[in-house]
Amino acid sequence: MPKVQDILVLFQTSPALDVVPSAWARYEASKGTGIKDLIEERNPPYKNAMAAMRDGWQVIQMSEYHQRSEADGYELGPFPYQTVLSRFREMQTEEEDS
Amino acid sequence: MKHLISSQDMAQFTASGYLKYEDMVPKDLCKACLKEMENNKGYLAVGMPFEETWPKDTALGEAFRLPKVKGLIQSLVGPDPLYDHHAAHLVKAHTTRGPDMHQDSVIDFRQNYFDIQLSFFPVDTTDEMGGTFLVPGSHFRNVRTGEIRGYQHITGKVWATCPAGTIYVWNTRVWHGARSNYTDQDRYMYKLRLNPTKPQIRNFDTSDIDNPEIGRILSTHHGWEGHEHRYELMKRIELWRYVSDQPDYDVGERFLRRREYQPQRIMA
Repeated sequence: MPKVQDILVLFQTSPALDVVPSAWARYEASKGTGIKDLIEERNPPYKNAMAAMRDGWQVIQMSEYHQRSEADGYELGPFPYQTVLSRFREMQTEEEDS
Repeated sequence: MKHLISSQDMAQFTASGYLKYEDMVPKDLCKACLKEMENNKGYLAVGMPFEETWPKDTALGEAFRLPKVKGLIQSLVGPDPLYDHHAAHLVKAHTTRGPDMHQDSVIDFRQNYFDIQLSFFPVDTTDEMGGTFLVPGSHFRNVRTGEIRGYQHITGKVWATCPAGTIYVWNTRVWHGARSNYTDQDRYMYKLRLNPTKPQIRNFDTSDIDNPEIGRILSTHHGWEGHEHRYELMKRIELWRYVSDQPDYDVGERFLRRREYQPQRIMA
């Protein structure tokens, strides 16, 4: 089977690659086209992006710093930064929708 | 009014956006409510007084008028709330769910205001049954409904596991979603959303309002805040100042002073 791209996104409160992620998501095309059963995970898969890099993941995007203004500098919304990691894995047959 | 929540509970609601109360609805009434949920119909008159709108002479009518439930409602949205909407959320037996993180309705920027949602679990709800998950403390982060679906996992996420008769009450801006049900049993969660009609100030039991524990509760770390904890804390303090009617309240390093202390403006 060919190798295809898996993506791991670490959502962070700083763009640094050595910070603990607040949230995370997997887009593993090697396994299928979406998660049909989300198994809860209490802890991130890696303590930070650098630990993922040491496990073979390649950083394909890291965030820029934001310019803050008085108007929005205290506002909260989605997590402000993310690190996108990539790894190629052998494609598996996708399970049929039940 | 009896059964008002304490100031410490109100502080926890301010910091975490939700509270959990077991033993709110007696078991027999839970069974009767479950039967009614199986025949749930659509919304009632949105935006009309709850007391006039909510059915009487039904099990669900009785459940949401129990003295303990009325005390909880009064504590958070005050007297004479409005009915917003309700729904019997069902995850059928052996139904899996993918990522589902969302904030309800549409983005809501109203200051010094919050709606509540009561989530009533009529049967014992185990982890395997997929009780609703919540992200504690996320209610100050306005987002557009389902755009946060990409946050598949968040540190500090909690999910409902509880005995029959439990009610979770939460600020409607808390990020939440449904989970997989791996059991042979259908999983129901009955939700009711209410709006206040008056300013939400000191509607709870204020006899413990000076308890120093409140400052520690407001400073709670839920696990996901990271470098933004102090910005979360500022939002919590602003809301606590409002609901407790203490306009100068602050804790620790008093971060709100960085905006408020401006002698140069007085001199000018």
